[in-house]
Amino acid sequence: MAAVYDHLVTVLTDKFEVDAEEIRPDMTLAGLELDSLAIVELYVTLQEHWGVPLAEDDSAADLTVEQVAQAVTAQLPAGDADRDGAPR
Amino acid sequence: MSAPDDGAGLVVTGIGLVTPAGSGAAATWEGVCAGRGTAATDPELAGLPLEFSCRVPDFVPRTQVPGPRPWQHDRATQFALAAAHEAVTAAGLAPAAREDARIAVVLGSAAGGVGTYEDQFRKLTGNGPQAVSPLTLPAFLPNMAAGQVAIALGARGPVLHTATACASGASAVALAALLLSAGACDVAVAGGADAMVTPLCATAFARMGALSRRRDAPARASRPFDADRDGFVLGEGAGVLVLERAADAAARRAPVQAHLVGYGMSADAHHPVAPDPEAGGLRLATAEALRSAGATAADVGHVNAHGTSTPLNDRTETTALAQLFGTDGPSVTSSKGVLGHTMGAAGAIEAALTALTVKHQRVPPTANFHRPDPESPALDLVTEAPRTQTIPLALSNSLGFGGHTTVLAFRPDT
Repeated sequence: MAAVYDHLVTVLTDKFEVDAEEIRPDMTLAGLELDSLAIVELYVTLQEHWGVPLAEDDSAADLTVEQVAQAVTAQLPAGDADRDGAPR
Repeated sequence: MSAPDDGAGLVVTGIGLVTPAGSGAAATWEGVCAGRGTAATDPELAGLPLEFSCRVPDFVPRTQVPGPRPWQHDRATQFALAAAHEAVTAAGLAPAAREDARIAVVLGSAAGGVGTYEDQFRKLTGNGPQAVSPLTLPAFLPNMAAGQVAIALGARGPVLHTATACASGASAVALAALLLSAGACDVAVAGGADAMVTPLCATAFARMGALSRRRDAPARASRPFDADRDGFVLGEGAGVLVLERAADAAARRAPVQAHLVGYGMSADAHHPVAPDPEAGGLRLATAEALRSAGATAADVGHVNAHGTSTPLNDRTETTALAQLFGTDGPSVTSSKGVLGHTMGAAGAIEAALTALTVKHQRVPPTANFHRPDPESPALDLVTEAPRTQTIPLALSNSLGFGGHTTVLAFRPDT
């Protein structure tokens, strides 16, 4: 979980240019001002990096950073989420 | 109605270039004056029919592209944004000065964001629909370079895209000139951008037999007008000019790089990809450019030729130049010996270089020319080193698949 969360923070800051200070586990994607296209792009990025399928639904904007990290972690085989953020 | 010697009465007040000779108008001017080919082996084309190209060197979107999230743009749009930023800055059009101005953006490209299209189609077929970026369409639609530049500048239009293949950038400049002359805008940000050094485009051009096969010496492959030329080298880049009516530019004390005094647009109406052997389109566009400039063939001191390095284009263009200007004609150069063929960007890049040529009264050489084509009329081709000469009027020729032809006419500021 920690590796997935850390990677997510890196994607949000580096790719989506979100201010690192705004990113907290309980902050929603909408709260980080990601629009609908950016959220789908975020999912594509996470799926490609972790090699897991993620369900895209219309309420993703209301998910928190922590919930997104949990959704990725839940798809990973046991043990993978503890690696150092390395893609599969 | 403009005075005859004022022609279209427009001026170039800013230039921005991103080319295989480097980022920035200064780097490109220096590169073409040095006269060395920029083509090199291209790892991204490994395993394809031809593995060399003219790439923009060391382009870093994160630092060179203004605005948020530069990765969301296709590479062609990234080039356009960087070149437009340079051009508008050079013209002294700061954001405050742009607020109330009626600014048009007219940018051409042959293939829009084709690199994005290829990448995403590969993801669709390789990994399925979930792998396709939702930003695919805004990245690859051909109008988006113009749209994104308008967003970056706060330009409210008209905002248009021209697609006339390899004449696209020149057509954009001519269309922008028409908009200014018609009073449809007060400032026009015009040019072209393309990033077609992609696996599919490179392969498709190779399959047509259009590319040079000189893989043992890529930097010497693009050799416009040389007897041993065997095709063009695929390049990429962007060129952007800021155009204004001369009176408006003078009123705001804008820097003037050159005067755009005439423009002609025509078509061969002959063949999808082969030039008309009689060069009907080029002769018509030249006549119209001279007419609108209030000039005659005798006034032309220099021609920046289309000069692609293909056997057909260069022979046809040479024949047309001989017919238009006689045996004692203007000096001629082709920038493609250095830059390769940057597709829809080429006409705009060469328009900018022609403006700089009349400004500096200095003609960059045609790279890699060794021996005249025995089957073509003689040209006063500038080779090996830049030539300083008096140039009262210079033309820039651009031709594209489809038979599209545009000729632009520039005079120095005096």
